[in-house]
Amino acid sequence: MSAPPGHATGAGRLWRKNLVIWAALLALLLLSLGIAYVPMGRITVAAGIVIAVMKSALVLLLFMELAKSGSLIRLAAIAGLVFLIAMFGLALTDVLTRT
Amino acid sequence: MTDALLAGDLPLPPRPDYLRHGSTIASWLTTTDHKRIAILYAITITFFFFLGGAAVTAVRLELFEPNGWLLTSDTYNKLFSFHGIIMVWFFLVPSIPNTLGNFLLPLMIGAPDVAFPRLNLFSWYLTIAAGAFTVYALLAGGVDTGWTFYTPYSSMFSNSHVFAAAAGVFVVGFASIATGVNFIATTHMLRAPGMTWFRLPLFVWAIYATSLIMVLATPVLAISLLLVIAERVLGLPIFDPARGGDPILFQHLFWFYSHPAVYIMVLPAMGVVSEVIPCFARRRIFGYDFMVYAMLAIAGIGFFVWGHHMFVSGQSALASLVFSFLSFIIAVPSAIKVFNWTASLFRGQISFESPMLYSLGFVGLFTTGGLSGLFLASIPVDVHVTDTYFVVAHFHYIMVGGSVSAFFAGLHFWWPKVTGKLYPESWAKFAAILMYAGFNMTFLPQFFAGYLGMPRRYHTYPAEFQIYNVMSSAGAGVLAVAYLLPLGYLTWSLFYGGRAGNNPWAATGLEWTTTSPPPPKNFDRQPRVDRGPYEYHAEGMSAGTDAPEVQNARDIR
Amino acid sequence: MSDESALLREPWFDFGRQREAGKFGIWVFLGSEMLFFGALLLTYTVCRIEHPDAFAAAGRATNIWYGTINTAVLLTSSLTMAMASQAAASPARLRRLVLACLLATALLGLAFVVIKGFEYKEDIDKHLVPGAGFALPQPGAQLFYGLYWLVTGVHAVHLSIGIVLVGRLFWEFYRRELPTQANPELEITALYWHLVDIVWIFLYPLIYLPGRSS
Repeated sequence: MSAPPGHATGAGRLWRKNLVIWAALLALLLLSLGIAYVPMGRITVAAGIVIAVMKSALVLLLFMELAKSGSLIRLAAIAGLVFLIAMFGLALTDVLTRT
Repeated sequence: MTDALLAGDLPLPPRPDYLRHGSTIASWLTTTDHKRIAILYAITITFFFFLGGAAVTAVRLELFEPNGWLLTSDTYNKLFSFHGIIMVWFFLVPSIPNTLGNFLLPLMIGAPDVAFPRLNLFSWYLTIAAGAFTVYALLAGGVDTGWTFYTPYSSMFSNSHVFAAAAGVFVVGFASIATGVNFIATTHMLRAPGMTWFRLPLFVWAIYATSLIMVLATPVLAISLLLVIAERVLGLPIFDPARGGDPILFQHLFWFYSHPAVYIMVLPAMGVVSEVIPCFARRRIFGYDFMVYAMLAIAGIGFFVWGHHMFVSGQSALASLVFSFLSFIIAVPSAIKVFNWTASLFRGQISFESPMLYSLGFVGLFTTGGLSGLFLASIPVDVHVTDTYFVVAHFHYIMVGGSVSAFFAGLHFWWPKVTGKLYPESWAKFAAILMYAGFNMTFLPQFFAGYLGMPRRYHTYPAEFQIYNVMSSAGAGVLAVAYLLPLGYLTWSLFYGGRAGNNPWAATGLEWTTTSPPPPKNFDRQPRVDRGPYEYHAEGMSAGTDAPEVQNARDIR
Repeated sequence: MSDESALLREPWFDFGRQREAGKFGIWVFLGSEMLFFGALLLTYTVCRIEHPDAFAAAGRATNIWYGTINTAVLLTSSLTMAMASQAAASPARLRRLVLACLLATALLGLAFVVIKGFEYKEDIDKHLVPGAGFALPQPGAQLFYGLYWLVTGVHAVHLSIGIVLVGRLFWEFYRRELPTQANPELEITALYWHLVDIVWIFLYPLIYLPGRSS
């Protein structure tokens, strides 16, 4: 095991990196709060969801380190997503076209 | 290395096998050995199989007479519901994966155990807890919703024990998810050196594909039942049309699980048959790669067809069209598998031992069930036969003719490995043939009765259908005998059966290279794999007649 | 490598492989969890498509302050959780940082539950429980609140499990029963925690933001 380069530097580097992500998450939270009060109809609804997607992408890729993970773990994450989309897609095929 | 060493026949230092490695009850109830957990599951599902069987025996007795003679309509409803719930979630779903799969998966890939042994045991305890809920539901007075728990009947009107039954299924779902996660991680992470993906036995592929479905579909079942429970207990209006709810939504959620669950039940059966047929035809499996792709395709496409259960539910015409189309698509990989099994027999040295009889029965009955499924995928025919005995016959051909036959095929095939004992072969052959005959006698008449319009789930029917029901009930009696026979002679073999060698069928595959029964850590030597799973003969030749070579092994101690 | 031998479990021979398998296993489980919450969100989506106006009115009736503050609390807990996990994985020996971050994570999780409790109390006082005496006139609003109670309840159960897991890890590390460095249980717990956070990230716009602009 390589010698630790000193407490402060190792910890400091981690704090700097993760605090930036955290700040971005909180900024997005405030952004979605603000947009919710702007009357744009469906776009307001969509904006809330898009921002949620962005926030969860940050958590998934950086906090959960999916960006650094091997293909196997990415595959596991994507599999869940694919079948989630299939479930929404096919169920809404019915709900949106009912007469 | 000498041939004797390669064949694993070298006298090894005596050590207890997994059955004799600790004999107290506690050593079984706290075991993390996948083989012992498989035995625990086997005992559990045998209990539930005969429980579910007892319920349907009463149902078939009742149907001897057009106007009923034995049960009240209420009791009748509760018995067929109990039969469905028990057979689907406490027998068929765990049957092959949790017994044979649990036992064989690590052996077949050359691993000492599954990836998460404690999770494996936890999964069994969850199954027991769930079973307790469900049996309580029966003892407390039963549940009358059918195994499908359709809303708004289940959420608003039924006065039976929906809560306990739904809670049981909810919990057993998590046992299923835990098993699925475990098997997927095991297949990915614990394969022996040289065991590449395309050297995996098809049974392992089948268990892997099944696990994918368990992991990704079961949570949706959990939610659908949670919503029913919430509506019943907390009075939430989710499925109540009068308060703005949507009862059809329940069917979407329920079938998002329950259609893929059909493949949870039948894919492992396909895996068993893919092991048995090459062994008793002494042939390589025909089209190994396509067998793999077909199984993965079935697992994947199986998620996209659930709406064919809902053609008459009021779902939109467009959705019905899409689901109908996708349902036809899934017949393609299923057909590939059937053709490949039959092609594997071509130029084989076929012998008709009991596992082979069960497997050939599977191929025929699965094909019949699958083809009748095409009728049901077609919207106009489905509208005609929805909720008739045609549907009942169709899915019993897949589930009972298919999966249960294959379960017995696997049980007989691996019995010598699991127990170290040989069973009486002539009895087994007799039981296999009896099961095939009894099955067809029970369910073939139901196709006719259903096509003529006899609805399912009624305890009375017009007198014109009596001939079909009497045939069916008589067949069920034959079938019951055929199921009780193995219970008798297999139990007998535990005490009086002859010693089984390591490889009584001269099969390929890693599980046959270790002793029967295997040692606690499966292999005394770490297996090394340098070829495919079904090398019964040299490439390009016809069937092999000699015992195949077994895999290399190297010492790990 | 005494750390690794203390963490090695059956049936593994190689610690690196065991760690990878644990990570892969939890990801597969998280895939399952995605479908679990996805099915609830599908229920929400279908109901909202069928009752857009009632959902807007019901969304307006939620308390946006509780919701927003709780989202910030949970996002911060994800920060401390990620710090704990990354500090344990780092070659530098950062045991104290790991301990501090784990404690902070558990406390932030508890804070979320407490704030949620105050919010539930206010909801009950405002008669936002479906059934007789419900505060809003539209029938669809009862659907919204039915799902609100269910989804936030299921989320709270998940979060509580997370708090127990994180608290247990903290205690074991504090008592030095297990090495912190490269501990697979910590990685697995962290991944689970983040997923519970992601669920809330989606619940926030679906529960608190509908109908704010009208």
